[in-house]
Amino acid sequence: MPENRDPVVHLDRGFWIATTVMSVLALLAIVFWVEVPITGLMPEAVDKAQQIDALFRFLAATGTALWIFVCGFILYFALKFRRHAGTPENAVGVQIHDNNKLEMWWTIIPTVFVIVMAFFSIKIWAGIEFAPNNTLVVEALGRQWYYTFRYPNVNGEVKEMHLPLGQAVTLQVSSYDVIHSFWIPAMRLKADMVPGMINTLEFTPTRAGKYEIICTEFCGTFHGEMHSGTNQNPAYVYIDTPAQYSAWYARTQRQQATASNAISVPSTSQLNLAGGDAKAGAAVFSAKCSACHAIGPFDQRIVGPGLKGVLYDPAHPDLVNGQKATPENVAKILQNGFKGSLGQMPNQAQNGLTNKDIVNLVAYLKTLK
Amino acid sequence: MAAITASVNAGGGLADHIHPEPQGFFRKYVFSIDHKIIGIQYMITAFLFMILGGMLAELIRVQLMKASGGIMTPDTYNEVYSVHGSTMVWLVIIPLLTGGFGNLIFPVQIGARDVAFPWLNMLSFWLFPPAGLMLYASFLMGAPTAGWTEYPPMSLQGAAGTSMWAAAIFLIGVSSTMTGINFLVTILKMRAPGMTFTRMPLFVWGQFVTAPLLMIATTALGAALAALFVQRQFGVAFFDPTRGGSPLLWQHMFWFYSHPAVYIMILPAFGIISEVLPTFSRKPIFGYKMIAFSSCAIAILGFMVWAHHMFTSGLAPALQLPFMVLTMLIAIPTGIKIFSWVATLWGGVIRMTTSMMFALGFLATFTLGGITGVFLAAVPFDLHVHGTYFIVAHLHYVLVGGSLMGVLAGLFYWYPKMTGRLMNEKLGHWAFWLFFIGFNGTFLPMHWLGIWGQPRRVAVYDPQFQGWNQVASWFSFVMTAALVLVLFNALWSIRRGKKSGPNPWNARTLEWQIPSPMPYYNFKHVPSVFAAPYDFAEPLPYKGLEEELKGGPPPVPAAH
Repeated sequence: MPENRDPVVHLDRGFWIATTVMSVLALLAIVFWVEVPITGLMPEAVDKAQQIDALFRFLAATGTALWIFVCGFILYFALKFRRHAGTPENAVGVQIHDNNKLEMWWTIIPTVFVIVMAFFSIKIWAGIEFAPNNTLVVEALGRQWYYTFRYPNVNGEVKEMHLPLGQAVTLQVSSYDVIHSFWIPAMRLKADMVPGMINTLEFTPTRAGKYEIICTEFCGTFHGEMHSGTNQNPAYVYIDTPAQYSAWYARTQRQQATASNAISVPSTSQLNLAGGDAKAGAAVFSAKCSACHAIGPFDQRIVGPGLKGVLYDPAHPDLVNGQKATPENVAKILQNGFKGSLGQMPNQAQNGLTNKDIVNLVAYLKTLK
Repeated sequence: MAAITASVNAGGGLADHIHPEPQGFFRKYVFSIDHKIIGIQYMITAFLFMILGGMLAELIRVQLMKASGGIMTPDTYNEVYSVHGSTMVWLVIIPLLTGGFGNLIFPVQIGARDVAFPWLNMLSFWLFPPAGLMLYASFLMGAPTAGWTEYPPMSLQGAAGTSMWAAAIFLIGVSSTMTGINFLVTILKMRAPGMTFTRMPLFVWGQFVTAPLLMIATTALGAALAALFVQRQFGVAFFDPTRGGSPLLWQHMFWFYSHPAVYIMILPAFGIISEVLPTFSRKPIFGYKMIAFSSCAIAILGFMVWAHHMFTSGLAPALQLPFMVLTMLIAIPTGIKIFSWVATLWGGVIRMTTSMMFALGFLATFTLGGITGVFLAAVPFDLHVHGTYFIVAHLHYVLVGGSLMGVLAGLFYWYPKMTGRLMNEKLGHWAFWLFFIGFNGTFLPMHWLGIWGQPRRVAVYDPQFQGWNQVASWFSFVMTAALVLVLFNALWSIRRGKKSGPNPWNARTLEWQIPSPMPYYNFKHVPSVFAAPYDFAEPLPYKGLEEELKGGPPPVPAAH
């Protein structure tokens, strides 16, 4: 045994005093995170915001406490074991290499912590991902650099987002051009708007008011203005009382009926499906359909199935709605939209298709053998 | 204590294949195949790029002093932060930690005379400066604007410089892959006799687990970059949803690289910290095996968690769940490391050198970055802060408070091994405090800015956030001043620094047992190792080093 080994240092009174001080500080931090009024800065506008805030408080409290202990011990050890002026050049510290018991404990404790945290997170996550059915479906669409919204039975796209208080909402988001992200800080929820994909957020508004919508995925030159602040097209969601909402909805429905892309919806029998222009149909297809449909075999899905040979494919003699693959039935889907296991397609009004467009589209689809 | 099992000259790879040291400036310092010179070349180049990247960072902070922006148009601002991010990740942190410190130190630490493939090593360095120049040349034709992640379809709209960016990063990737192969083979095949895996210094362990990451992950990035390039230049529809491509394909491939890349940027820094702490505490590192084992665990888990960057992208719930839980698991090995480092301090004889202060600063700030990383693993919280300044804060706490602090600790620690002189400690202490205060003042406020609603990558923002943005900007100037001071210190000390002698810190790993600066071919006779390196109370665990410090003739070239 070498001579210059220091006597073993014990966990002395200083250590326990330091630990006590850190424990008190950690406790104060926990109280702070449990009590701090986050909602003063950020109102909780939907049912799920409370759960997410609860998770945040839990994470912040435990995280801060842990950080106080790590930094506290660093500081305490650095001060207490600091080499003093008179210390001989070859003095060494306590030559311990490890301590199985200690190492076991600081493996077990983080593991337990991770399990608890995973449990909380999964519980709240499940509540966010798997939401009630029978909700109001609103579509939000991103463009460079503003949002538009579609409502059931409202013609075309509207620029303002209104939601009724207390009504479950399914928000379907997508994009026309690049990836945007739809974030309402007051709701603590966010979904990327990815072209060719529909992402959903499900929640119930619980607090009336006007809240900012912010784009958080870089989307080009004016990305920074794709929110309320200095923007030309300020983006807000208005959470209305049911009465206010109904009034807004009726007014919007009226206004949008005469919008430039307004169309009347005749029955399919009124459409003369002969004589469509396949070339014009191809143009309509790439503008209105190609975000969700590939011109490839049935299995080549983007959102909906691939449409090559839609009227001829012997492997799929029926359309996705179970009807025979005839030009009339295809036209019906184009008019009425579709919702089923293969996704959701907007109807003629929501998609902004004129009758002529439908006739041309059918003519174009006929050419895809 | 193991017996010496091999004779002094056996093993060591190059022992029987020695050329005389090349003479002349170009052969000696430019097209060198000496791992130490190449390491220094990497460091100098990376520090030059750090000056450029740091200037871009200050442009960003000046722009954000005012909510309505100020000095740049939105497009210029987008170019600036995109190139800033790309520079700092690919031209600064990764080259410094792998090519730089890796090359310089670990071959000596395992008792080798060079890396396994010296010419490949030279080639991988010489891909790096042209790649960096290409990245900066992209400013001439419209630099990339979509951030260092360059998500399509946005990056498809970018100016011509985006293709240049892809090519430049591809080159860097090739260079990284070659470095990874080289390091892995060197560590597996060229350890000195007796240098078993449990006797390797922990910096070598850091490089050892990083090498496969460099090799495997970078390949995925290369494929993604090639696809982006081909789509941009030739219109092949990899990422175009209207023609059957997928915008998310890029995200999967990019993060399959870039998540492990986070560990490429931190595991070698862990290694540096694991050298500095025991040396200046005069104590064996606490839990050597657990630290080495947890590095392996982190590297393996690092490949299984890439999709946690995509929780808001429309990932199926069935995928969110495993990615969330696997990500949280990383907290366990990381926690083990941090607790072991803190325990290393207990009962030590702690010398507060600048290097040690950076190491302690690392512990404090990296821990905070790690904790916020665990927050982000929880999907519901990530849904709120994804794409905001909270992410910017977390990322900088890990990469600046972690990796860069590790680099600075390593710079002050190993500077004598490069120059034979010490850096000035007084200036070093000033630099540390300025850096520590400046860093925390810059990035701490960004946590709450993000939670309250400031998105990242914006040239203008809501006026209510202006106050904290100004705080961040002012502190960023302090941080910059600190780095300028470090740079000045490094340059000044080349000539004026105190002569260090071979082992100024009384350290125990092999690089300190040979002269400073380290001679060509490192060792006169390859040493034998018979114990682990960190037992400060024991005699040195090496045999065959008697000749090293005596001057005398250089190793005799063998005839061949």
